[in-house]
Amino acid sequence: MKKKLLSAVMTLALLASVVGCGSGSQSAAGALDQQGVSEIPATEATTETAETTEEAAPAAAIDLSEQVDLVFYVMGDAPQDEELVEEALNEKLLEKCNATVDMQFSTWTDFQQKYANEITSQGADLIYIANWLNYGQLASSGAFEELDDMLDTVAPELKALVGDSALGMCKVGGKIYAIPNTWPEYVSNGVKYREDLRAKYDLPVPDSLENLEAYLMGIKENEPNQPLLAVTTEESQGFKTAFDAAWALNFKYSWVNINGLDYGLTANYDTPTDVYDYWFSDDFVEDMKLMKKWADAGFWSKSALSDTNNSDAYKNGLCVAEIAGQNPNKQVTAIADFTNAGEGWESAYVAYGETNGVIYPGHATQNGTAVVRGCKNPERALYVIQTLLCDDEVNAILQYGIKGTHYDVVDGIYKNLQEEAGETPTFPYEGFNTWNMRNGDTKLPQATDVALQEMFDKYAKLGEKTKFPNVNIYDGFSENYEAYSAERSAVGNVMRQYLAPLQAGLVDDVDAAVEDFRTRVKDAGLDKCREEYTKQWVAYCEEYDYK
Amino acid sequence: MSNDKDFEISAPRKIKKSVGTKTFEGISYLLLTLGSIICVLPFIIIVSGSFTDNTTILTKGYSLLPRDFTFAAYQTIFKSPKDIIQAYKMNVYYTVVGTGLGLMMITLTGYVISRKEFKYRNTISFLIYFTSIFGGGMIPWYLMYANVLNLKGHTLAIWFPALMSPFLVILMRTFIVGAVPDAITESAKIDGAGHFTIFFRIVLPVLKPGLATVGLFLALGYWNDWYRSSMFSTNSSTWQLQFYLYDLLNATTAMKQMASNVSMKTADLPTESVKLAMAVVATGPVLLFYPFVQRFFVSGITVGAVKG
Repeated sequence: MKKKLLSAVMTLALLASVVGCGSGSQSAAGALDQQGVSEIPATEATTETAETTEEAAPAAAIDLSEQVDLVFYVMGDAPQDEELVEEALNEKLLEKCNATVDMQFSTWTDFQQKYANEITSQGADLIYIANWLNYGQLASSGAFEELDDMLDTVAPELKALVGDSALGMCKVGGKIYAIPNTWPEYVSNGVKYREDLRAKYDLPVPDSLENLEAYLMGIKENEPNQPLLAVTTEESQGFKTAFDAAWALNFKYSWVNINGLDYGLTANYDTPTDVYDYWFSDDFVEDMKLMKKWADAGFWSKSALSDTNNSDAYKNGLCVAEIAGQNPNKQVTAIADFTNAGEGWESAYVAYGETNGVIYPGHATQNGTAVVRGCKNPERALYVIQTLLCDDEVNAILQYGIKGTHYDVVDGIYKNLQEEAGETPTFPYEGFNTWNMRNGDTKLPQATDVALQEMFDKYAKLGEKTKFPNVNIYDGFSENYEAYSAERSAVGNVMRQYLAPLQAGLVDDVDAAVEDFRTRVKDAGLDKCREEYTKQWVAYCEEYDYK
Repeated sequence: MSNDKDFEISAPRKIKKSVGTKTFEGISYLLLTLGSIICVLPFIIIVSGSFTDNTTILTKGYSLLPRDFTFAAYQTIFKSPKDIIQAYKMNVYYTVVGTGLGLMMITLTGYVISRKEFKYRNTISFLIYFTSIFGGGMIPWYLMYANVLNLKGHTLAIWFPALMSPFLVILMRTFIVGAVPDAITESAKIDGAGHFTIFFRIVLPVLKPGLATVGLFLALGYWNDWYRSSMFSTNSSTWQLQFYLYDLLNATTAMKQMASNVSMKTADLPTESVKLAMAVVATGPVLLFYPFVQRFFVSGITVGAVKG
């Protein structure tokens, strides 16, 4: 009897432990939610005090009498000279805001998890935010302080600098929770290709699907042993494409883009609320036939589906073009790499947007700063953000270190002194990884940035001509898939299993494979995902007036 | 399976038995050889890769023997060895402190809950055991150390959480029960010995294999851990060695991924061969040390298992 009881208890215990594990993974979000709820009264209290101070003294709104020590949580690894630069920074901050800042770094290990922990435990006061760190979801679950009122009372200078349009993009549920950086940055995807080879064999610039094909074919004919593309599935992990080569279709459609819609849905940039289908259209079949043609022509390896991404392939001459996950900054890096290699190679870049006419800078929530809810001194925190971003002297220390020790400015261009001397820099450019503190007016260009800026200027001109001039209408959207997460992951599996070989052209009969994919993805619950997704997307467009 | 059958059927006849045994042995040797090759090969590839020129790795892939032999990777590491030496120092510190204190606490606890005259030993054993089944999960664990105990950024947060584990306490208790018969402690008691005398002069001396086993478990755990650095370190000078290496790897991948979203520098990242050389430098000493204590490890585990 005793034994039976014991075994029953053990079984229960085991079961409970399994259940316990299951819920463990969700606890981060759960904890956040709870926090949001429990913390709301506290914020209301602060807003009230903010209002009362406003009534009392409308002009100078902030009380700097007490010293405040803030923790600023940023991504990545600390520079070697963290303490030295922090000291210099705090000297200025004490003088200007009677506050100090302690930089804390996430490191790149488990950073998503640690970022959530940091917010849950309210260990930080200021925190780096970005759309790839789920800014929208975190803000709506109450992770950050609302800044609307404080911006007027405490940081009018900051508000003027950032501007209403960018602040509006940081709104979640009608409230501002983050201060974006003010440097418009184009991360427009495109094709990086070998200009020297193109010129040598007199091939067309790969600025369309036909020309890309001609360029690759030309090289194949002239240098049969040269591998052409190093495409894998690694830049296609989302719900847009399943194989990297499919990004080339961005030449043809502006919406084949990392910012585009999921689940084979599309919407033209001019009419974002008008969502239509791609996977079940004739265009899709035609495009997949093109992919097969390319695969048969040997543009990529037969084992491409299982290959791992070799991001150094281009640098080492193992491919002659990169078509997925590229951006102007990577082009600039490639130019430097080729110069260092000294083999006479040249890299050139065509942004897809140059061909399809839709181009825009990164979204405001790409690099921003928020005040973590639970911060004891949210007003001072915001005031410190203002100083860090708007005060040239402070901003320079934060971004570049100590002038004369770490860097110098020659002809308006940033020079790292240690790098010049052939040493490892102890505080590199933007050494604190504070991409959220880039001030577009005062940002010092690096030598390589000249080429970058040229590209940006070109894109800015093109972006002016679009319906929403230089506004990234896509990236502020964050999907809430709680209601259909099972269907969503099933669709994801079907995409990996059936869409990937299709887009990699590794099927015998395209029509049959397309049919197969269509039935399977429907069975997986595509319709439910699409329906919900469309609803949310249209609501988002309405909210931000993208019509 | 079929071998076992042969073995059983042919057991009474001597000659056939040896044939069965031979087949059995042959197959075991084959399997063990295969198993050890599977274990050793990756390591050989790491070592050979660390001596290979980086561009050769990228263009031709890995090989068993280094092509284009070079010390370049090791030269890069030891050109500014400050970081890696610091990480080594911290790792030795955590391992020594953690293993020393942990061993002491585990042995004392094990002794107490092994004493029959201790009234609540079952309750306490259960409470210890209970934590191995039910855990609070990662977030409460983190909040406990970061917010309640306020240990974030403190080296204590790195060695303290792993001082005791239910498994090791129970293992130690089993050791003590098995190694020290009641009669001995009883006679010591009659001679007037208190618990401390019994523990230090009678129990500890016969507990050496147990101490070696638990100590090795602890030490390996401390040496190989990176997670607590990841969670609680706020300064890279307190990093554990494994975290230093792991983060190096993660930084490379993360920055390459990030570069598709954000303008940032991706140059100056460690090359393949440097990463491999790092792995060799980090694991080398343990590899040399391990064979000497391995016998304790094996005997210790089996002793614990039989008596448990």
